[in-house]
Amino acid sequence: MSLPGGIIRVEGLTKVFPNPDGSEKTAVDHISFEVRPGEIYGLLGPNGAGKTTTLRVVSGLLRPTAGRVWIDGQEVTGHPELVKRHIGYLTANTGLYARLTPREILEYFATLYDLPREQAAARIGRLIEWLGIGPYVHLRCGALSTGQKQRVSIARALIADPPILVLDEPTLGLDVLSNRLILEFISTQAAAGKAVLLSTHALDEIDRLCRRLGLIHNGRLIAEGELDVLRRQTGRQRLSDVFLSLVGAEESVFGGRSPAH
Amino acid sequence: MRRFTRIQTIGRKELLDTLRDRRTLIAMIFVPMVLYPAMMLGSLQGFELQVGRLKQERYKVAVESEAAQRWLRAVIDSDPARRPRATSLPAEEIVELHERGELDVPSTAPALRDESPAEAARADVRQHPPEYEIVVMSQADEVRAQVRSGACHAGVLLPGGVPARGESGSAQVTLVLDQTDIRSQIAAAGLEGILKRLSEAWLHERLRRVRLDPQFITPLETLQEPVATPEKVGGSILGQIVPLILVIMTITGAIYPAIDLTAGERERGTLETLMVAPVPTVDLIAGKFLVVALIAMLSAALNLLSIGGTIWLGGLGDLLARGGQVVIPLNMLPWVLVVLVPLAVMFSAALLAVCSFARSFKEAQNYVMPVMVAAMIPAVVGILPGTRLEGPLLIMPVTNIVILTRDLFTGRFDLFSILWVTLSTTLYAGAAVAVAAKLFGQEAVLFADSGSIKTIFKRRFFRPADQPSAAQAFLLLAVVFSANFFAQQWLLKLPGVAGTLRFWFGLAAVIVTLFLLAPMLFALYMRVRIRSAFSLGPAAPAGWLAALCFGLSTWVLAQGWFAFQQTWLPMPPEMERAFEEMVAALGGVHPLVMLVFLGLLPAVCEEMFFRGYALGGLRGSLGRTAAVIVVALAFGIYHHSVHRLIVTSALGLLFGLLVVRYRSIWPAVVAHGLHNGLSGLSARSDGLKPLLERFGYGLDATGYPPPSWLVAAGLLLLVGIAIAVLRPGGTAPAQTLVRGSGADAAPPHSGGDSRAG
Repeated sequence: MSLPGGIIRVEGLTKVFPNPDGSEKTAVDHISFEVRPGEIYGLLGPNGAGKTTTLRVVSGLLRPTAGRVWIDGQEVTGHPELVKRHIGYLTANTGLYARLTPREILEYFATLYDLPREQAAARIGRLIEWLGIGPYVHLRCGALSTGQKQRVSIARALIADPPILVLDEPTLGLDVLSNRLILEFISTQAAAGKAVLLSTHALDEIDRLCRRLGLIHNGRLIAEGELDVLRRQTGRQRLSDVFLSLVGAEESVFGGRSPAH
Repeated sequence: MRRFTRIQTIGRKELLDTLRDRRTLIAMIFVPMVLYPAMMLGSLQGFELQVGRLKQERYKVAVESEAAQRWLRAVIDSDPARRPRATSLPAEEIVELHERGELDVPSTAPALRDESPAEAARADVRQHPPEYEIVVMSQADEVRAQVRSGACHAGVLLPGGVPARGESGSAQVTLVLDQTDIRSQIAAAGLEGILKRLSEAWLHERLRRVRLDPQFITPLETLQEPVATPEKVGGSILGQIVPLILVIMTITGAIYPAIDLTAGERERGTLETLMVAPVPTVDLIAGKFLVVALIAMLSAALNLLSIGGTIWLGGLGDLLARGGQVVIPLNMLPWVLVVLVPLAVMFSAALLAVCSFARSFKEAQNYVMPVMVAAMIPAVVGILPGTRLEGPLLIMPVTNIVILTRDLFTGRFDLFSILWVTLSTTLYAGAAVAVAAKLFGQEAVLFADSGSIKTIFKRRFFRPADQPSAAQAFLLLAVVFSANFFAQQWLLKLPGVAGTLRFWFGLAAVIVTLFLLAPMLFALYMRVRIRSAFSLGPAAPAGWLAALCFGLSTWVLAQGWFAFQQTWLPMPPEMERAFEEMVAALGGVHPLVMLVFLGLLPAVCEEMFFRGYALGGLRGSLGRTAAVIVVALAFGIYHHSVHRLIVTSALGLLFGLLVVRYRSIWPAVVAHGLHNGLSGLSARSDGLKPLLERFGYGLDATGYPPPSWLVAAGLLLLVGIAIAVLRPGGTAPAQTLVRGSGADAAPPHSGGDSRAG
């Protein structure tokens, strides 16, 4: 099912972390998938399933213990700096410099991505407009709300107009308005030809955005492919039922936490 | 070129970020510019106030009779120091004059001619005449009781009655004082001065009567002629305090940004965002380092400015100036600032390295304290009087800068030493930056939440581990280092120990306690498995072979190296003598006993500690090579001698190689024991000396072993290294060494196979 032309290609990715006691914890175990340009690929799974670790390896922040990751034909471990240029990575926690303003942060990252000055200014102006950052572009980030911070973070991830977006729980903790804006924004980006790798445990987002997805549970990819195919396979219509039937219904995977909000 | 722009960009942003932080501004500007001058001036004024009060205090003096009171009153009032007119009058007349009330004419201070201390003291008395109130008691014991109880500050007893200026003989005056009370001391000292001057006047009177010149009784007059310029005197005063203050302030300035830009950024989650950008970690750390160093320098400069300003404007200069004999060389301050640059660079890098290791602000603060202490000790060594910028001190970090600063103040320095100091400091700074860059990008530091500080202290949180953590290893290294140093110093100070066999018993106890028991107990407490933590497993035969090659060769090479080193870094004769004395203490014992003290015990204990515990703890986070190097350097430093540093560190490298190669400390123990034992026995005529001599071994006049032996030993060593490096270490691959560190990136093996070995 692996089609050629995946701009992100992950093969047999395994990541093992050492525990402080010397034992080892396998966070990600033999995961393979690929994401094509113009596609939104969803990584779905409960907290601690290994989604974030997968995204970090894909973005070149962690080295895989085994397996390989190619970004646009380049292997991540060989050229992390080169690969990072092609990726706009949105981290799960909105880590913004509290003492800098959104504009300063965007300018800073524009320089880190080696954008020429005029191009950077134009790009920043457009992002500020798109994401409605204008009203608070001169405030320090420490004073912004979660939704405002998330918009700035997204602008930061898009600063170099990368062909690949890696979004780690982009709507976590957002209100309905920001949530909708960001989901729409993701759709537009994919429509513009970008490959989007999205991790979430919000099932309705997957339903809305993704045609293909991977289900991660305990570090393993338990199902991978088109949503419709998975629905047919399991004979369930609702995504949560699909998921539960795949991991085994007896296991309460989502614990006490609501998968969507 | 692009790279420099990028580092510059990072630096600019970090600087902006840091300068917007109120806490940095407080630490950097408010503290030096406002707090210190205020505190300095405040305490100075308090001091002056106190001194003035003590001087002008009214002292109560107890005497035993009315006659004594009258006499003492007259003597005090006629003291030539406070009443110049009275100088020439005989004592009886003074008493009469006083009783008629005619003595009470205002005194006029004569212009000072000489600047002798005696005259200065007189001038002081003239300016602040202390007042004495004389209280009459009925007997001597009562006088003593008064002073003892503190009711009177001093007592004057006249055992022979009221003294008169006789033709000959000497009358006795006893001053009663409470030597624990500063006021009593001052009162008594004042009275003593008055009486001394009276005695002098009477002596001159006697001499006049027998027509002798006063010079008759001083056939030899000793004078001092200080040649130091006032600037130099001022410089030496400044040199005693300012360097230490500057060292402290430079660190203080760097601490906050160093923590904030590394551990702080990690804690706030911005580090991950930053790492996403296509920027090499080295560039990131370089940009941050520039900012920390800049702020440390700014902080140092502001402190210097503040010290200068306080001295110049605030009257500290006047206090230090002691009547114009001292000039503070303020013009040296800019030069001092230049010297501080490498210091700021080194501290910034060291602090960054330490903080890069931390995952949170709090954890970083815990790591910073030892660095601060580690910096203070050599700084204090530097301000000790008499230390000079030469020999090993030239390259001793912090100490060399402190001494150079001191020398700058006194204007006694040369370009050669400045060069040495700058070069060595830059080298240390570079090493620290490299370590920082290495640690900064570590996955474990970036993301993993393991090993937080709270799990370090409570045993119930500990999970059994195969190796100590790097933090544990560093902690124990630091504790054992100072404990070892002080224990050995203490041992040498004990009466009847230095140079005897008892020293060796003491040393053995210290070594066993600190290098063997301490890590063992610590490991047990931390639930670290002893067998794996100390690499106690068996080694492959190749390991024993390599160890044999090392152990049989290094003692000859070390001997040759020492002889060579003697030509450019000669061991001071005292040190050599002390060393010989130490070895001579073992001269009387059986060679086998010597082997135990010199070979067996150090080999086992030191290998357990350094190559076992410390290396095991550090290789996880530093990587194998860096860990071996760090442990080897620590091993060298632990021998407390610059002269042995190179040899011991080199040995440390070889032993470390054995341990990481064969995953067992036993070959290293053998090599270490052979080296120590052969070094000791080769010099003993009841040891191996006769045997070795038969094979042509012997040291020539300059201490070199025969060239043939050197060549043979060198070859043997190379063979050993070749065995260890070239041949794969026969047993299990060294995989669990690489715990999570991406640096070595060896292919994964199952973690279990190491235990099988």
